[in-house]
Amino acid sequence: MAFWTTLLIIHGLLAVALLGAITHQAVSVWMPVRSKAGNFVARFRAVPSASYVMAIIVLYVVTFVMGAWIYTQYRFTSRLALEQLRFFKTVGVFEMKEHVATIGMILLPAYWAFWRPPLSEEYAAARRNVTLLLALIVWTNFLVGHIANNARGFGS
Amino acid sequence: MMASSKLAVFTIVFSVACAVIYVISTELNLPLLTYHPVIGEVDFLWTPERRGPVMYWYGWMLASMLGALALAATATAVPESWVQRAILFGCLAAVAYLIFYTLALFIYDKATVELEFLKSRALSLGAALVAAAAISFFAPANWNQRLWPGWVCVVPIGALAVLAYYLTPYFTR
Repeated sequence: MAFWTTLLIIHGLLAVALLGAITHQAVSVWMPVRSKAGNFVARFRAVPSASYVMAIIVLYVVTFVMGAWIYTQYRFTSRLALEQLRFFKTVGVFEMKEHVATIGMILLPAYWAFWRPPLSEEYAAARRNVTLLLALIVWTNFLVGHIANNARGFGS
Repeated sequence: MMASSKLAVFTIVFSVACAVIYVISTELNLPLLTYHPVIGEVDFLWTPERRGPVMYWYGWMLASMLGALALAATATAVPESWVQRAILFGCLAAVAYLIFYTLALFIYDKATVELEFLKSRALSLGAALVAAAAISFFAPANWNQRLWPGWVCVVPIGALAVLAYYLTPYFTR
């Protein structure tokens, strides 16, 4: 069980890094700073958004693969316990998490293409939208993962 | 007018096709492989559970990714306007089916006589295809010239809505 708990913690830490990167990028692309960055919020918005692309893709893929690996253990341990305890809503949101994660994975090739330098003005709107969608997906899965783990986490 | 790059067409079609095939393979349960986590074995295509629960998610993903790769590769070899028309037609058909089937079930519920035929999915699907074909045919020409990159967001969001709808039994028990 220590092995799976360790994997889950690493999965969670990678998700935190991904969450930070995609949030930075989404904020900087939706609310760019026009003047010199002053306070913390302005500096948060002033990051060079294009520089986050490869980090986000790598973090997403690695986090996804680790999640998919841990999922095998969840399926016949935690999930069975959740069903026996009749925590159907928790099982339901976790089912949704697997679909949401897959859709996020599906978006990555287009996300990468839209962000390829030199940034095309033609894809500016698509770039903003796909970044926002990816950010929403990462936030949703992060929160759902937390809820599911709190309901019946590894080792409980 | 410049055509979109092959890379853009490939990645846009991949995202759209993968989302659609994923929904279909999930809802019709058509995995390319089946994983049995307790015994650690993998079977080709769908197989029932043997010892412990069974996992089809990997098989659904593999099916959708391979299908999407094939469609995306095909899309780069045909005129861009055909790809745009095909996606527009598919999206219109999906929305029209949703409207027609909801309307048919609503009328069925409210009618004072038995209208059993309204429960037929085939009828709503047929009507949706006709409506989508008509709208596509009369759509302004500039709708079908370039591949719209917005499909990358629209179609996956629609796919998520369908997937969420099919999970509602978990929340209504």
